[in-house]
Amino acid sequence: MWRVIQSVLAAFFGVQKESRRTEDFTHGRGFVFIVVGLVMAALLVGLLVLVASLAAE
Amino acid sequence: MRLVWTVGLVSAGLSSKVLANQWNMPVGVTDVSREIHSLHMIIFWICVAIGVVVFGALFYSLFRYRRSRGARASNFHEHTTLEIVWTVVPLLILVAMAIPATATLKKMYDTSEADLDVMITGQQWRWRYSYLGEEVAFTSNLATPRSQVEGKSAKSENYLLEVDEPLVLPVGQKVRLLMTSDDVIHSWWVPDLAVKQDAVPGFVNENWVRINEPGIYRGQCAELCGKDHAFMPVVVKAVEPPEFESWLAQRKEAAAQAALGVDREWALEELMTRGEQVYATICASCHMPDGQGSPPAFPALAGNQTMLDDADYHIETVINGVSGSAMPAFRSTLNAVELAAVITYERNAWGNDTGEAIQPARIAELIDSP
Ligand code: HEC
Ligand SMILES: [Cu+2]
Repeated sequence: MWRVIQSVLAAFFGVQKESRRTEDFTHGRGFVFIVVGLVMAALLVGLLVLVASLAAE
Repeated sequence: MRLVWTVGLVSAGLSSKVLANQWNMPVGVTDVSREIHSLHMIIFWICVAIGVVVFGALFYSLFRYRRSRGARASNFHEHTTLEIVWTVVPLLILVAMAIPATATLKKMYDTSEADLDVMITGQQWRWRYSYLGEEVAFTSNLATPRSQVEGKSAKSENYLLEVDEPLVLPVGQKVRLLMTSDDVIHSWWVPDLAVKQDAVPGFVNENWVRINEPGIYRGQCAELCGKDHAFMPVVVKAVEPPEFESWLAQRKEAAAQAALGVDREWALEELMTRGEQVYATICASCHMPDGQGSPPAFPALAGNQTMLDDADYHIETVINGVSGSAMPAFRSTLNAVELAAVITYERNAWGNDTGEAIQPARIAELIDSP
C-alpha cells in the first residue's frame, strides 16, 4: 500500500524513476492505483480548501 | 564586467523610458493601487531574473559546446535529482509570490466599514451614479462632441475621456462602490484607482477606494457592450472632504429645485431647449441627430406618424422602452422634466411641428405609479 501511495504522490509531483514505473506497470494492479489516486485527489482538494480558508481569515 | 555594466545601464535607461511613456501600469493614487503596482514590479523582476538565467544558460551552452569545437552530446535519459530540483524551485517561487499577492487581494476585497456608498449602474452607453442615502443621483455622459469623433473638428486633449458630470468623491475616505447594470455587462475601470470591476445586470458587485490625492482620474468601460462601448468613459474627480460636502449639499438643493419644476407649467421653448440637450446626449446615438434613425434597426422619429398621432404611445414608449428591442426604458435614467422635454422636442423638431408641449406633471404621474 505504501508503495502505491508513493507512486501516486510521485505522479502528483510529476517526477518518477523509470525503474519504479516499470515495476508498477508489471506488478501493480491498475484498479488499486485508480482508487488510491481518486482518494488522494479528494484529500488534496480538502487540503487546498483548508489552506485557502486559513489564508482568508 | 563591462558587458554587465552595459546591460545594466541599457535596462535602467529602458525602464525609465517605459515609465515616462506610461507604458507601464500606473502607480495610482490609492494605497491598494500602490501595493498592486509594487507586486507587479516585483513579479516582473522575478520573471526577468528567471529569463536571464534560463536563456543565459541556453545561449552559453549553445555557444560553449558547439559542434565545431568537438562537443559531444551526453545522451542520458533520466536524472531524478535534477527533475526534482527543477520542479521544486518553480514551486517555491510561485508560493513565495502567492503570499504577498494574497495579502493584497484580501485588502482589495475588504469592503467593510465604508464612509460612503456609491451605486454605479452601467447603461448603454453611460454611467449612472447614485450616492446611497443622500438622494443624489445623476448620469455621466460622454462630453466629446460628435464632430470630433467624425473628424470634422480637431480632437481635444481628453478626447473620448471627458464627461458632462464626473463622479465626485472625497479624498481620504473609504468609498464603497456597488456596481450593477441595466442592460448588458459593462466594466467600470479607472487605472489610477486600480479598480476594474464588471457591472452585471441582476448582480451587485462590490469594490472600494480610498483616494489619497485630489485630482481627476479617467477611465473607460472595459467590457465590450455594444455600438457605443468606446463612448462611455469614466471620470472621477477627487476633492477634499469639505469641498465634497458642499458639492453634495448643492446637488441636493438642485434636486429639490428640479422637483419643484415638475409642478409648474412649462413653455414650449423652454421644453425644446432642454429637450434638445437630452436628445443629443441620450437618444441621438441610435435615432441620429437629425431624427432619421438608421432603419430598420433604429426607427426614424422625424415624420413618424404612429408616434405623432398618439402622444400616449410616444410617452409610454420612452418611459417603459420596448422590451425585446434595443429601445431602453428611461423611467429611472431621466427625471420627469427631462422626459417631458425630450418628448416635446421629438414632437416638434425636424418638421414634426405638432406645437404640443408635454408637461412634466403629466410624466411625473406616470413614472411615480409603475
Ligand atoms: C440603444 C438605442 C436607442 C436609444 C439610445 C434610444 N432609442 Fe428609441 N428606439 C430604439 C429602437 C431599436 C426602437 C424600435 C423599437 C421597436 O419597436 O422595436 C426605438 C423606438 C423609439 C420610439 C418609437 C418609435 C416607433 O415608431 O414606434 C420612440 C418614440 C423612441 N424610440 C424615442 C426615444 C427617445 C426619446 C430616446 C432618448 C431618450 C431614445 N428613443 C433612445 C433604440 C434606441
Ligand atoms: Cu459599457
